[in-house]
Amino acid sequence: MNDKNPSGASYPELLTVSPSPHIRHSDTTRSVMTDVIIALVPALIWGVICFGPRAALVVILSVASCVLAEYVFEKITHRKVTIGDCSAAVTGLLLGLSLSSSVPYYMPVVGGVFAIVVAKQLFGGIGKNFMNPALAARVFLFAWPSEMNKFVKPFSRLSLFASGADVDTVATATPLVSLKTGALPDVSMTELILGEVGGCIGEVSVVLLLLGAAYLLCRRVISWHIPVSYIGVVALLTVLFPRNADTGSFVLSQLFSGGLVIGAFFMATDYSTSPITNKGKLIFGALCGALTVLIRYFGGYPEGVSFAILIANSLVYYIDRVTLPRVFGKGGAANG
Amino acid sequence: MAYTFKGGSRVVEHKNTKDSPIEKLPAPKMVAIPLSQHIGAPCAPTVKAGDEVLRGQVIGEVKNGLGCPVHSSVSGVVRGIVSVNDAKATPVMTVVIENDGLDRLSPEVRPFEKKLSEATTEDIIELVRRAGISGMGGATFPTYAKISSAVDRVDRLIINCAECEPFITANHRLMLERPHEIINGTKILLKALGLRDAYIAVENNKMDAVAKLEEKIAQSKMIHVCIMKTKYPQGDERQLIYAITGKELPAGKLPADVGCVVFNAETCAAIYRAFATGMPLIERVVTVDGDCVQKPRNVLAPIGASYRDLIEFCGGLKKTPEKIINGGPMMGAAQWNIDGPVTKGTSAVLVLSKEMCADTEQDHSCIRCGRCVRNCPMHLMPNYLALFARHGKYDDADKYDILSCVECGTCSYNCPAHVPIVQYIRAAKGTIKAQKSAERAKAKENAANITVN
Repeated sequence: MNDKNPSGASYPELLTVSPSPHIRHSDTTRSVMTDVIIALVPALIWGVICFGPRAALVVILSVASCVLAEYVFEKITHRKVTIGDCSAAVTGLLLGLSLSSSVPYYMPVVGGVFAIVVAKQLFGGIGKNFMNPALAARVFLFAWPSEMNKFVKPFSRLSLFASGADVDTVATATPLVSLKTGALPDVSMTELILGEVGGCIGEVSVVLLLLGAAYLLCRRVISWHIPVSYIGVVALLTVLFPRNADTGSFVLSQLFSGGLVIGAFFMATDYSTSPITNKGKLIFGALCGALTVLIRYFGGYPEGVSFAILIANSLVYYIDRVTLPRVFGKGGAANG
Repeated sequence: MAYTFKGGSRVVEHKNTKDSPIEKLPAPKMVAIPLSQHIGAPCAPTVKAGDEVLRGQVIGEVKNGLGCPVHSSVSGVVRGIVSVNDAKATPVMTVVIENDGLDRLSPEVRPFEKKLSEATTEDIIELVRRAGISGMGGATFPTYAKISSAVDRVDRLIINCAECEPFITANHRLMLERPHEIINGTKILLKALGLRDAYIAVENNKMDAVAKLEEKIAQSKMIHVCIMKTKYPQGDERQLIYAITGKELPAGKLPADVGCVVFNAETCAAIYRAFATGMPLIERVVTVDGDCVQKPRNVLAPIGASYRDLIEFCGGLKKTPEKIINGGPMMGAAQWNIDGPVTKGTSAVLVLSKEMCADTEQDHSCIRCGRCVRNCPMHLMPNYLALFARHGKYDDADKYDILSCVECGTCSYNCPAHVPIVQYIRAAKGTIKAQKSAERAKAKENAANITVN
């Protein structure tokens, strides 16, 4: 069995016998997660330009603490270390981007550990958590409400060692605070879309977030269903129930303010915590949209995206169950 | 617009041999012809060691039940009838024949005695049975039985030239080089079934073949070429029937239940050859490819030639193989024996290196990306099915219709987490089917007891 070929390759003694299929698509969990990171890079760069080096350090701390928390937890519990799949890095990046650049440095660290250990690993790790870890951590960090609701003016770049007093001098109200009262934000629509407003590090530049989202859609990492139904329902409800006489501006400000765009495209589409069928995704998106508007209108906080997605997350298994696709050949009109 | 279905996915095509003409493999010194190459009862040998056999002579015949005869692909001397483990590790009696190189033809091989217009359905069914033709796409169901079960039950004849599996170009080359064989075979089938319309389904990555077929059928109004979207598993008969007729064939039912019958392109050509020359099915086109093969090509190989003969004919190996696959990479069977034989169902022999093969590591977590659900041609939830299967929740798996899975492997192919989804499902299906038949047997026994009492 071991005769040599001219090329030197030999017939092997043993061949591998395993069931089909024998080949596979080149995508891996890591490549999918890397795509998400690539898609968030433009918004991250804008955040750093807008809010200075302190923003960069907040994000770096968040990513590092997520990856480290995953590594340490898996070592302690004798599980396979999965930091190579980059999912912890994505969680860290999303958490960092959804914090204000003025938060004390311990907050991204506490948040990162909470996201990975409590929201993800305690439920069994990647694919098994029922809440989006980054959002769960963000909501956990509302234990420090004053820090979480303090935002700095765009281009007032805080130094790495800025103190609380420095922050207070450049603090600003975000567009959402104005919208809460029914007033239009005191920034132009262009500033709003480009991201020249106060807010979380990664949520401000609508244009760059949409660029990243387009990349994910092209790579088929995400589908259009959740973001379209999410943003669609927010638009619909704000059109139907405007709180300002200038309905058009009010609706657009609602859509382009706060975390709606980053939430709809990057957080609500998280695989583990969103439904798997297209019909389920539409329902889930609509639910997120309705909850977001409810909280923005009637809740205690100006922003509702994080809470809305987390509440919808908890219903995903049931949404999956009621949106099972009709099996090919079973029932339906096509079979006469 | 090309015909298609909902679900499925693009797969890497690797159609490296689409420009390689079919080349005849000189009959090797020894051939090993298994006596069971079809679904049904195995043949009993009609020859014994030491007998002289001629090319095209019957060497095995099914006495009772479903099955079709097996013929010698060479002339020579029977060296023995031995038990050889086939690809599924089932022992199969195999006739080993030493080729005398004289290529003497059996007198049994003679053209059909009537004109097609005078042939009856029974004549054609008997012709196909005697020629030992079974489904050459890989399923190897005896073709005569398929025809006879379809008579008076179907109104659509579909010829499957989709060839959606990566690598394989055997049907593609057949359409380009011998379109008349496929078309005439189709006409014979139309005659046997008493139908007026046939649909030849070709994926739109083979437009040259479409042109060739259309050129040949120009005069005939009975045969239509359907251009299918290139997508896996377009060649699955369920998806093919749906794409062309809009009818959904549930798992467990036969195409005749929705008024359709589907034949593989090469099966069709084999029927024509049997009709025109009397030559039974003793050779077939095999695509020999894979990253370990020096010169991938399409080979007209005698049944019973070994994989090794084919690989040597294609210039030998250039890399050390990890797997040898009989059939396509999506649904073909990995072989343990490099000296295993080409059979009636061998559409390809693929020799893949370790780098080319999907890893079989099983320690990955589903990330719920939903690709398996999006791509499932049966519209199942493969992620949940695999989860249930993995944890032995067979009732839940049954509730989610695991038995509708056709095991096409699209889910496993696309899974970024490398979960062996279809492999889990396949294993669970086996268990569930066994449980169900045990329950049925028990119910039957109980019923019998009640009657007795």
